[in-house]
Amino acid sequence: MKERLVNGLKSFGRLRIQTNHASIICYSALLLILFIAFTIRVLPIRWEIPTGTLRLNEFDPYYQFSLTNKMVQDGLFSPYLENDGQGWINYQQWYPGGLDMFNSLPSLPMTAAVLYTIISWLGVNVDLMAFCSLFPVIFGTISCLLIYLVGKDMGGKSVGLFAALFLALAPSFLQRTALGFFDTEVLGIVGLLSFTLLFLRAIDKNRTLRSSLFYSAGAGLALAYFIGAWGAAYYLLGLAVLFVFALVLLKRYSQRLLLSYSLTFGLALGIAVNIPYISLDYLTSAVVLPIAAMFLMLCILEVLRHNVSSRTKVMLTAASLIAVVGGFVALWQLGYMEGIAGKFISVLDPFVRSAAPLIESVAEHRISAWGNIYYELGLGIIFFLAGLYFALRNPTNRNVFLLLFGATSLYFAASMVRLLVIFAPAFGLLAAMGILGVMKPFYTLLKETPQLAIKSKRRLARVSKEYSGVVVFLVFMLLVTNFAFSPQSGGVPRVYGSAYSPLTVTASSLPLSGDHLSEPAQEWLDMLSWTRNNLQSTTVVCSWWDYGYWLSIMGNVTTLADNATVNSTQIENIGFIFMAPENLSMVMLEQYNAKYILVFTTLGLASSSDGSYYIAQSVGYGDEGKWSWMARISGQARDRFIQDGYLSEDEAWTDESDFGAYNDNGAWEWNNAGTNSTVYKLLSWAKQSWVDNASGSYTVYADEEGVEPTYFKQAYFAGLELTLAEAAAKYSGLIPVVALYEIDWDAYYAATG
Amino acid sequence: MFPKVPDQHKTGKPLIPNGIGVLYVLFTTVYLFLIYFSGIAPASNGVSEPLTLAVCILFGGFMGLLDDWMDLKWRYKAFMPLIAALPLIYLTLADPFARTSISLPLLGVIDFGQAYYFLVIPLIIMIVTNTVNMLGGLNGLESLCPAIVLMGLMALSPMHLVLMLGPLIFWLILTGFNLQGKIFVGNSGSFAMGMTVASFAVITDLKLPLLISIIPYVFNSSLILLTIFFTKNRAKVTFDGKKLVADHRKSLVTLITYRRPLTERKVVAVISLIVLFFTLAAVATSLLGPHLAFS
Repeated sequence: MKERLVNGLKSFGRLRIQTNHASIICYSALLLILFIAFTIRVLPIRWEIPTGTLRLNEFDPYYQFSLTNKMVQDGLFSPYLENDGQGWINYQQWYPGGLDMFNSLPSLPMTAAVLYTIISWLGVNVDLMAFCSLFPVIFGTISCLLIYLVGKDMGGKSVGLFAALFLALAPSFLQRTALGFFDTEVLGIVGLLSFTLLFLRAIDKNRTLRSSLFYSAGAGLALAYFIGAWGAAYYLLGLAVLFVFALVLLKRYSQRLLLSYSLTFGLALGIAVNIPYISLDYLTSAVVLPIAAMFLMLCILEVLRHNVSSRTKVMLTAASLIAVVGGFVALWQLGYMEGIAGKFISVLDPFVRSAAPLIESVAEHRISAWGNIYYELGLGIIFFLAGLYFALRNPTNRNVFLLLFGATSLYFAASMVRLLVIFAPAFGLLAAMGILGVMKPFYTLLKETPQLAIKSKRRLARVSKEYSGVVVFLVFMLLVTNFAFSPQSGGVPRVYGSAYSPLTVTASSLPLSGDHLSEPAQEWLDMLSWTRNNLQSTTVVCSWWDYGYWLSIMGNVTTLADNATVNSTQIENIGFIFMAPENLSMVMLEQYNAKYILVFTTLGLASSSDGSYYIAQSVGYGDEGKWSWMARISGQARDRFIQDGYLSEDEAWTDESDFGAYNDNGAWEWNNAGTNSTVYKLLSWAKQSWVDNASGSYTVYADEEGVEPTYFKQAYFAGLELTLAEAAAKYSGLIPVVALYEIDWDAYYAATG
Repeated sequence: MFPKVPDQHKTGKPLIPNGIGVLYVLFTTVYLFLIYFSGIAPASNGVSEPLTLAVCILFGGFMGLLDDWMDLKWRYKAFMPLIAALPLIYLTLADPFARTSISLPLLGVIDFGQAYYFLVIPLIIMIVTNTVNMLGGLNGLESLCPAIVLMGLMALSPMHLVLMLGPLIFWLILTGFNLQGKIFVGNSGSFAMGMTVASFAVITDLKLPLLISIIPYVFNSSLILLTIFFTKNRAKVTFDGKKLVADHRKSLVTLITYRRPLTERKVVAVISLIVLFFTLAAVATSLLGPHLAFS
């Protein structure tokens, strides 16, 4: 009895958390990194607090928000099951056809909707948009935790910590997980990292079969989640197949590999094809087929492992080769691979993409200039290279994966600016390995006895403790110039520049960040609340596609186009509306039943040489900078417009050079067609209105006299009340004017009869 | 605290602390950071000059330390400085008024266009860093000569003088000790100094003076490399206890001491005078350059 009691007490004592100094330091460092990751991601909240609520950044997150909203309102599967399985069509966007919300990836909105429902059920009363705004911040922080675990598996806790720090501070990843960036990449990186973590554990031979099965199933779920979260899942599928192929080439095939592989991919694809948008066609796409081929190959290897006569071996190999190649050719010929292959090839070969202006006009689809990559990595690139070197020298399974991950993601990042975000985790892991690899001999020296002699080829070098200390310090200084005082961002920490910038709508699309924008720019918010309060949700407002989501989701009106860019004909037509002379535009506007048209312009002031008056001129952050894309995109459909009788051969245009040219001073000069275009009149009248309004207290002239449009009457111009002094104090002198015109159909019918 | 190596050109081969150049790296980094914080050289076009310089020198020092410690192979040493060219390329690309041309006397202006950023700057960094590293091995040689070149460059760019003023003084102090044979700056010093000269010349846009100043270096390196290429022999200078002498002409040092025994100090003086001559020529050409072009 007494013994049992004593033993019981002892076992109770054993419950106490066993810990030591090193792990306390490690976990506090991790906590600190996560805290930093979270804090810098919420920095934009500084501009949101004065407006009273949290909004979303840029444009695409509003699409995800509207899906989430639908799920919260009408049930988790409503966007896919409504209308007898046809899916939800949002008629407030892409009028008259509507936006088919069936074709959307569900992971992000579903995760958000489920979490929102849970916290609402727990009694936390928060606006859905505010919740969605914070969502990326939380999941960005979780990604940092995940990369710590991945790094810990690869090279111990210190690799994990460095990798977490690198990922937390990677500018591209930071931008896409900062406050309000409620978009697919957020979960994409979470999915990618959890797949990496689980799959690498699954194929680890040192684990028991049971845990291997467990991890394979987990990896399968993570992969399915990733496929449902981000279109770039192709990348991970390709990478995983490449990785397994590399293992086979390195003669590391094992039964465990076959088991994990089939379980993971079987489960993942089985779940993925049930996602409405993805469907069975996914299995026959050019990227997914290699998975099947790889599976076949692994099966053959398994057969070959057993005692089979060499004749059978040869026969089997030949037969499977013929089957794989024949299958590919047959599918290619049958045209199964065209659609998705095209998209994939556009990343593999960026020059295919640059031929299409509609894709190219989106900044994040462009080919990364090397400057982007350098800005992103700084001199940390040496640690990345060192990491590659150390991984090559010690090609364990994990390091092989890391090598492939690093090399391929670097290529894709160079091909498309947006994909820099995929490169961020690979860079973090490799750079962490590089740093530790370089410093390892030195910090072991620091720990051990001094006067350790190192034999070198030419001479005997004695390296003392202090000397190693200096090396560690130099590496530290290099990291300081990388993170804190980087030359490429003028000494300001890079993350500060990326993170400390307001949400696009709260800055009214002005390119101001940090201290340059002392208060939220209200102009766009004013416009959106005006449309919400004064217009019906069915009122059609025509604008360039960038503002579509804002107007339809926050402004609650019906729009013609937005960032979904599902209907390029409609975008060409909108380009036509803006670029054609008024009377021709009206024909097109009539087709769309449009009641209002909106342009956005930004003005800057130059003072005259004697300082007695100011000249207002366009500075190019609004539609005055975007109209050349309107001209180029609508110019592509030149023949269609002529055929359909919208305009005659000599009125037609192909690109912006038909509307003017740069003069010798590098300034743009409009020609006749230019000054007659609708967009010119709408912009110049908005500018003139601001000038007329402002000249009460100052003498202000417009650089070009404004032209009043004939059929468009001022409905509401946001930004007219902004005075010169306010603009200088609040927006560094920039003046945003959001101009909503009512289309005067009476005048048009009276004129045309 | 520093690793000690024997001085080959002294009687008794005393042990001398090596790798002191790392102090220069540390001092310069701190100095340039202070310049940055003091706001004397504000960031232009979003890029900070003192920090760019600091990064390059740090990298040079880091490379030199690795070399001191584990004897990097030549193929790594030759191409590693390319990494340090990145900040400089970024700096010049960000500058809308950057000259992409080099104006040569008599030949006129050669405009490289885009190739300037991606070919000329990396080449300058690679060549200068490596050639400066190759001319050494005698007390004072590897510290005095780059200092002369740097002083020439600084004289030509009063605007950027403040960037290198402190480091130069520190370097000259090190040179003093080095000349007396009390310390060696080591590879960390000579790579850092080579990087300093190259990146300072790129930042201040003094390409022609740099090219003229480093002619002796390039001559030395070509001599060494050609010999290795053709005969696979390294240049070697023998020490008889008092004077240096060589029986071949495979590098600048052996060329000078070829069948002509000289003390170490004299050899250093001769080479320094040669470098000084070319540096003065560089200064003269760029000061008189505009006048020469008109004549």
